[in-house]
Amino acid sequence: MVKNKSKWKSAMLIVGFLAPALIVALGIVIYPIINTIIKSFQDPSTGAFTLENYSYLFTNKLARAHIWYTIWVTVLTVVLAIFFSYLLALYLRFSNSRIASVIRSLYLLPRFVPVLVAVYALKMVLSDSGLINRLSMLLPESWALHNFKPGLLYNAKGIILANLWFNIPFATMIISAALSGISSSIVESAQDVGAGKIRIFFKMILPLSISDVMIAATFVFMSNVSSFTTPYLIGANHPMMLGVYLRKQFSSRKYELAAAVSCLIFLFSSISAIVYIYTNLKEKAWERD
Amino acid sequence: MVQAMKPKNMVRALGKKRAGGVIVLLVFMLFFYGPLLYMLPLAFANKYEYPALVPTSYGFQWWKYVLDQPTVVEAIVNSFLFAICSTVLALIICIPAAYALARFRFRGRKFIMLLFLIGNAFPKIGMYTSIGIIYYKIGLMGTFLGVLLIHMLGTMMQMIWLPAGAFRSVPRHQEEAARDAGAGPVRTFFHVTLPIAWPGIAVAAMYAFIGSLGESVGTLMVGLPKYRTMMTEMYGVILDFPATAGAVFALIIIIPNIVLLFLMRNYIGGDTLAKGFKMG
Repeated sequence: MVKNKSKWKSAMLIVGFLAPALIVALGIVIYPIINTIIKSFQDPSTGAFTLENYSYLFTNKLARAHIWYTIWVTVLTVVLAIFFSYLLALYLRFSNSRIASVIRSLYLLPRFVPVLVAVYALKMVLSDSGLINRLSMLLPESWALHNFKPGLLYNAKGIILANLWFNIPFATMIISAALSGISSSIVESAQDVGAGKIRIFFKMILPLSISDVMIAATFVFMSNVSSFTTPYLIGANHPMMLGVYLRKQFSSRKYELAAAVSCLIFLFSSISAIVYIYTNLKEKAWERD
Repeated sequence: MVQAMKPKNMVRALGKKRAGGVIVLLVFMLFFYGPLLYMLPLAFANKYEYPALVPTSYGFQWWKYVLDQPTVVEAIVNSFLFAICSTVLALIICIPAAYALARFRFRGRKFIMLLFLIGNAFPKIGMYTSIGIIYYKIGLMGTFLGVLLIHMLGTMMQMIWLPAGAFRSVPRHQEEAARDAGAGPVRTFFHVTLPIAWPGIAVAAMYAFIGSLGESVGTLMVGLPKYRTMMTEMYGVILDFPATAGAVFALIIIIPNIVLLFLMRNYIGGDTLAKGFKMG
């Protein structure tokens, strides 16, 4: 009886602790999402159930171009960001130099710079009359690089560069945390028995950090597949990222189509989130053994 | 002198390893800090005409211009008001939830953790438009609370996951020892649990604060025309103002973040922050 009472008490405690956050999450996350999903299946004029919005996205030539463009810009961002972050994280983990400690204290800042500010700063450097171009104007006129126009804005290159600016610090942070969990002594003992650097990396460091790499990749994917500000300010008009396309549909009052675009992006994110969940569960299973 | 400038000789002088380090540092600084540092001379330029590399005259002309805009001061005040309120609100709402998720094992725990991840998986723009429609229905459009909730939306996951990670790392036996010594649950929480978990909570609060200061699109969609923040003004600045005014704005916006990061430097490590992205 006493035990039952304390069980009931702790259940009430849990509910009480969780309720405010859950109510807010239901109101500003779950309810809007459900609304959007319903809307994406509605006919704009009658409100009846239809697949028209989705079939438009998959058959319209422009919309399909936007979808493919979004996927390849995002995938390229993820691959490049993870590659450079891994290199940087390895360097930060295994170098004792002063330079490494300087970078360690500086690399997190970009994560805390508002997107808008960073995009603006990058624009000032990369634009065809920006800092890079002005530097090239200092070169002798006979040189080919004189008045060099980077041509990095209003196309995929600019978006990817800006994405890397935001995501390398983030992914480096996640991967560094994983690498710092690998003790130096096991690496050293592998070296003692004659394992080469490449072998140690592929047999030891990579397997021990791969789950965190997947976590980093998931978040990089999710934040970039739906990005709006960066492509809106420095991306092209055609093809455009789905986030910008969504906004455009919304402004022209095609709410149902906008909802379908939202759900499509959500679907892409969910696929990557499944990778995340799977990695997390697998890790937990491993810990249990 | 010329001899020493040759890359091969520089490498020899520095040593292969250190030369590698110097190159890493150089690329790192140019890519990540170059654009930010470039804002400094731009913001204090009175005259910066193409193709001059550096401004031809310096001064505060554009600072005066920006601060004289009728809405700018109001926007700065609003930004901080929203940041403070949304951080406090997020702490009040999320800390108990984080504690429950960290300390109790119950059915659906994982699912609830995931619920907060979903907010990050759904496109923000889609979320704002959908929330906007709901706001119209219930009269939250263009209200303080409406904007506040939008600001919480972006940081809720970290506000739950980071403190939850911090609470998990508090050794349970320390809490039990305090309870055995006769301390009540509230006293134990404030005297044992909170001091140990504090760094994680502080970092989460900083996240929420900086996230709120940096929020632009959502505020633009549900707050205008009544509530302008530095960020919504920045949108206009990027599109219509001269470049140097934009740099002034960029600096005004970054400075609070840098000050905060500096104040929190002892708490912020990649390891602490990384916990906000791992579900335990």
